[in-house]
Amino acid sequence: MDVLHWDGTLSAKDFRVGAFAFSQKWESLNSGFPPWVWVLSSKHPWLASPEEEGYLSLEKICISRPNEEDIDQISQIDTGEEEIGCPGNEDVIDDATLVQSSHHELHYCDFHIVYSSTFRVPVLYFRSYCSDGRPLPLDEIEKDLPACSSKELSKSKWTFITQEEHPYLKRPWFKLHPCGTAEWIKLLFLSDTAKPKFEVVLELYLLSWFSVVGQMFGLRTPFKISN
Amino acid sequence: MAAAEPPSSVRKVVVHLRATGDAPILKQAKFKIPGTDKFAKVIDFLRRQLHRDTLFVYVNSAFSPNPDELVIDLYNNFGFDGKLVVNYACSMAWG
Repeated sequence: MDVLHWDGTLSAKDFRVGAFAFSQKWESLNSGFPPWVWVLSSKHPWLASPEEEGYLSLEKICISRPNEEDIDQISQIDTGEEEIGCPGNEDVIDDATLVQSSHHELHYCDFHIVYSSTFRVPVLYFRSYCSDGRPLPLDEIEKDLPACSSKELSKSKWTFITQEEHPYLKRPWFKLHPCGTAEWIKLLFLSDTAKPKFEVVLELYLLSWFSVVGQMFGLRTPFKISN
Repeated sequence: MAAAEPPSSVRKVVVHLRATGDAPILKQAKFKIPGTDKFAKVIDFLRRQLHRDTLFVYVNSAFSPNPDELVIDLYNNFGFDGKLVVNYACSMAWG
């Protein structure tokens, strides 16, 4: 495969090879993060398939940003006695209560890297939820993202984030739309003066891809790769 | 190319900004930046120079660094020939 004439896409088999390379690199470079796990799955479980089909999974990543105004809200502590006979006082006096700020709630995110046979590129599917499992809508997820991502989102979110049925789990997930992927992947690899062979491109493909898409969530892709 | 080092021990990194795709070429494309600065500074500089909010910024070996990365770490990993080449394009990463 001539990299100069490559269109930036992958075959399903390339994706599997690339996925394993990515998960290995990720694990060896990034001790702070859990590993990406390959989940064997099939879109058509009733058909016998000679090839291993599946996707990469990284789950329960805490994406909450620490809130600087994170203080416990303490409502007015009073003796609790109602003031009778003071018509001017319209305040209802509560019993003393200590209200835990809802800012303590942690948000988690699951990420799946799924191959798209239509676009022939990896696609990032994600869902976010609270510690009690309650799924979060996109507006809530937005608050957990780095500032530049939420700026981009507020401008044009529905052009690149869609909610669809997860191709394997058949449940609604969000996905980063892949239609531009092949173009910027080509740019990433072909601007490299080294002009690598396709085998090297495949080794690095998902790492390079994730270095871009991971930034949407403020996720840091490791790069201390020994050349 | 031994330039006089400033009295502080902060090492400066030479950065070359390289236009790719359809991006305009900057008149001033080379500069020095303290290694302890974050990559975000380079991205912001580019945004201001090009009057664009969305830029696709990446370095050698097909990698797009997180804005929080230190310039010196990027230089140590991706630098070549005494400089860090930072490529930029105006194409949309999303959609």
